[in-house]
Amino acid sequence: MADFVQLVILGLLAGGVYVAVGVGFGLVWGVLNIVNLAHGALVIVGGYITWQLFTSLHLDPFLTLPVDAVALFVLGYVLQRGVINRIIRAPLLFTFLLTFGLNLVIVNVLLLVFGSDFRSVTPSYSGQGLELGSVVIPYVRLMSLFAAILLAAALALVLNRTRIGLAIGAIASDRDAAQLVGIDLRHAYAVTFGLGAACAGVAGGLIAMIQAITPSAGEPYTLQAFVVVILGGLGRVSATVVGGLAFGLVEVFAQSIPGSGSVFANAIAFGLMVLVLVTRPQGLMGRLH
Amino acid sequence: MWPVVNPRTKMTSVGIADTGVDVAMAVGKLAFLAVAVVAVVAVVACGGSTSSGPTTGSTITLGAPLGLTGSLTKESLLTQQGYNLWLDWINARGGILVNGVKHPVTIKYYDDTSNANQSAVLMQKLITEDKANFLVGPYGSAATATDAAIAEQNQIPMVEANGAAQSIFNQGYKYTFGVLSPANKYLQGVIDMAATLTPMPKTIFMLSADDNFSLEVANAIVSYAPTKGMTVFPLKKYKNGSTNLSAEVQAAKAANADIVLNSGHLQEAIAINKAAKEQKLNAKIFAYSVGPSTPDFISALSADANYVYDGSQWTPQVKYTPAFYLTVAQYVAAYKAKYPTEGDPDYHVAESTAACLALQRAIENAGSLDAKKVRDALASLDVTTFFGQIKFDSRGINIYKPMVVEQIQSGVHHTVFPDTVADAKPQYPTPSWDQR
Amino acid sequence: MIAQGLRDRRWRRIFLIVGVVVAAYALLAPLTSLDFAQSANVPLLADRLWFRLATYIAMFIVMATAWNIIGGITGYAAFGNVAFFGIGAYTTGMLIAKAKWPFLAALPFAPVVSALFAALVGLPLLRLRGHYFAVASLGVGVAVGELVQNIDYGGQPLFGGASGLFLPIFSIDNRGLFFFYLMVAAAAVAIFATRWVLRSRFGYGLIAIRENEEAAAVIGVNTTSYKVAAFALAAALTGLAGGIFSQWNVFINQDNAFPIEYNVQMILMALLGGTGTVFGPAAGAVLLQLLIQFLGGSLPISVDIPFVSTAARPIVAQVILGLLLVAVVIFVPRGVIDFFGGRSRLSLSYLRRSLRETSL
Repeated sequence: MADFVQLVILGLLAGGVYVAVGVGFGLVWGVLNIVNLAHGALVIVGGYITWQLFTSLHLDPFLTLPVDAVALFVLGYVLQRGVINRIIRAPLLFTFLLTFGLNLVIVNVLLLVFGSDFRSVTPSYSGQGLELGSVVIPYVRLMSLFAAILLAAALALVLNRTRIGLAIGAIASDRDAAQLVGIDLRHAYAVTFGLGAACAGVAGGLIAMIQAITPSAGEPYTLQAFVVVILGGLGRVSATVVGGLAFGLVEVFAQSIPGSGSVFANAIAFGLMVLVLVTRPQGLMGRLH
Repeated sequence: MWPVVNPRTKMTSVGIADTGVDVAMAVGKLAFLAVAVVAVVAVVACGGSTSSGPTTGSTITLGAPLGLTGSLTKESLLTQQGYNLWLDWINARGGILVNGVKHPVTIKYYDDTSNANQSAVLMQKLITEDKANFLVGPYGSAATATDAAIAEQNQIPMVEANGAAQSIFNQGYKYTFGVLSPANKYLQGVIDMAATLTPMPKTIFMLSADDNFSLEVANAIVSYAPTKGMTVFPLKKYKNGSTNLSAEVQAAKAANADIVLNSGHLQEAIAINKAAKEQKLNAKIFAYSVGPSTPDFISALSADANYVYDGSQWTPQVKYTPAFYLTVAQYVAAYKAKYPTEGDPDYHVAESTAACLALQRAIENAGSLDAKKVRDALASLDVTTFFGQIKFDSRGINIYKPMVVEQIQSGVHHTVFPDTVADAKPQYPTPSWDQR
Repeated sequence: MIAQGLRDRRWRRIFLIVGVVVAAYALLAPLTSLDFAQSANVPLLADRLWFRLATYIAMFIVMATAWNIIGGITGYAAFGNVAFFGIGAYTTGMLIAKAKWPFLAALPFAPVVSALFAALVGLPLLRLRGHYFAVASLGVGVAVGELVQNIDYGGQPLFGGASGLFLPIFSIDNRGLFFFYLMVAAAAVAIFATRWVLRSRFGYGLIAIRENEEAAAVIGVNTTSYKVAAFALAAALTGLAGGIFSQWNVFINQDNAFPIEYNVQMILMALLGGTGTVFGPAAGAVLLQLLIQFLGGSLPISVDIPFVSTAARPIVAQVILGLLLVAVVIFVPRGVIDFFGGRSRLSLSYLRRSLRETSL
């Protein structure tokens, strides 16, 4: 029983990172209709910012998360305004081409700047945790989960309560109507992508704490973001939170299958996703629209 | 045997080979030709006056596709460092001596973007376009397996240092040689060491990535440990490249084994060590096949890296009496002089240098640059270097060199087993996480 | 207008002539490496590198052209076609390595097994639309590779496991030439299949599905069977390439038979060349592969990048590749076939019009 509780906790904690990775990806996909293959690369940019601030200024890694968010927001805003906006009315698959190219550029610029060494942020309290009987809750992962939920909440707040957020919502439901009522599409699109990138940056900061990063370490996260967003359902932040936590749980329980269950973790996760898609195309939490 | 100083030799001496004919070069080809003619005249003139000492022969071209970008960049760069260290040394001496003629050496590198299929294309380019006389290996078992087939079809010897999976060598290929100990030896040293410790650990929890190299390492332990009186829990496989291994670590904790072994790569080794601390997995021995030997492991984990063991092909503390090339101490010094920011060379570097040494000695023994003769010389090679004995069995892999066991103690690598090469005693048992 | 039309026709003719010349050279050059050609002192135009490169490019032509049938003509953005490549490779690989079949007997099973698999997963998957189909097919692509690598039977890996499959080296004279023509034949089959599809009732049905699936159903297209058939056809062609690949490359494992990046690359190629056309994907495959190989330094011609150290060169080459892709997408959003192919001309106004059409 304690073992089961421990696995549930580990799964939810692992899910925190997936939530952080997924919300930005889902926002960009849902609103802008862009499948951002460079999302994982943006995540790793955030990871390197946290690592750099931690090693050279000895900042607490959690305090660097706002820096990640701001820096990546700016990067994302510029990318969308300067580059991606130019093809936004081309067919969907062209965003593939474009973001694949951007991914190559970002990953290799990181390689030029930071080299190929494995970097990880290990603060003094890393590895410590709450012990409740035989169940352990590591601080770093717990705080990562909190940070991810906080991030999702902040994003939901921006989308539902601010002027620009409402504009983004309007675009998502009807672009032409939004333009008719005087929304500056270029700006709104750039803000949306910036917000998505900011979420990626925060996710990267968290990831630098729980694993070692290299310039190409983001690619698996792009793949997982697909599953997370689809599991939850496209178009709502809360759905992505559910998707992320569900993905963490699925992963951990797939890993704990005796014998060689864990090697099928991806197959199980993707299989589940396909099942969800075929039976409930709007996702676990999604609404059809 | 054209007595000309290859214009590329100067570039080679800084350890980097050009990768193609650039436009400037094409434009300035005539100028180049003029320089070459002058060089020929100069060499011939000098050759006339200084008759003592060996003459300079044609340049020997070696080639290797490496993952200079992509997911295997770190390991590929270590490999390249090892090749370049030897290259500097051999060219400082004028080249490889073949029948009284010194042949300078150049190594051509191409970026295979860490993709095995691209590695095959580049291997073919090295052979046909660049006329590589011999090949040195890429990084990783998948690329090595693909390239071994190319070397075989073209009958060009390939000496590789970074593909330890035995499956490569069980195909009856005649032109592929591996200087490193095969995968099944990687963690056996840890078991041997554990058997000498008191209290002797009795149970082992074995984790393994699902790639061919890691599984060979793990399966060897599953069959070897019982012969030393230890029991192994059922092998736990995980996906190669996993970054979340908390459930695996939880399973190891539930098993409460004395020894936790991991057979995987640097990324997974760091993830397991982090999760072990977070989830309070305490064992008497933590040992990982690949990872702890690199400086990255210590810099990523700082104090948490202490007490971790690894099975290593080579350490800076080993004591071998080399028949040629540098001693171990000289090798470490040469590495630090060339790569001052990198710390001690790890075994990826050393084994890559060793591949070049094997090739050099085989060429010298063959007294020829003929591919078949060098292949035969490689097959009968038996020489001790700073890396240890290099000798190939009938399959082409070096089963004669022992593995050693390293432990990280207070942030520094120490060799702890076997006793003959050890510079420190194992710190055993590993204290529990809350007592560090 | 008339002048414009004339000029367009002239461009198209020039394009056609250049294409024919290049294709003829590509097909005939390898023959000069034959022994009798050498003894007859025919100047050498080709070597083994050329075979490998050209075979590799032909392999991508097959994959990109096959993807075009489901992705370009039918409008279903399949993101997991690499599964069919891998299944084809493993089908031939297993028959040769385990059952000891001769290669040419094993090869026909590669497209058959791939197509059967595609029909099987296509039935549920093709009910999904747009993104959802793309992601679900990606899932299939990832899962199949993982299963092939890790499925054990009676404690032994069923498909060679992590060690992969080593096939005996195919013994034939002029091996490189053999595989080159085999792969080119596969590419020709793929292109002719596309041509046939586009001119058949079947193809009109697929295009109707792409343009408006509900309307297609109303006018009597059996959308389910049409979609599944298109998916299976794409899978068969991709599987054929995989089957040839396994014997050509001698060694297959999950890494090289199910590389995720091929999923992206085949789509890139089809888009680059122009989706929905007969030759577009092939042109895209040639262009993108040549670009990759050129920047990777494996072509006979290469350019030095100024102010870049040798160590940084491969990295900068990748950055340039990324930037070029970005530039091409922005300026030539309808694919290079459209760009060079006559309907429009390479001019500033073309670029400006492209930009205006797709940007905000």
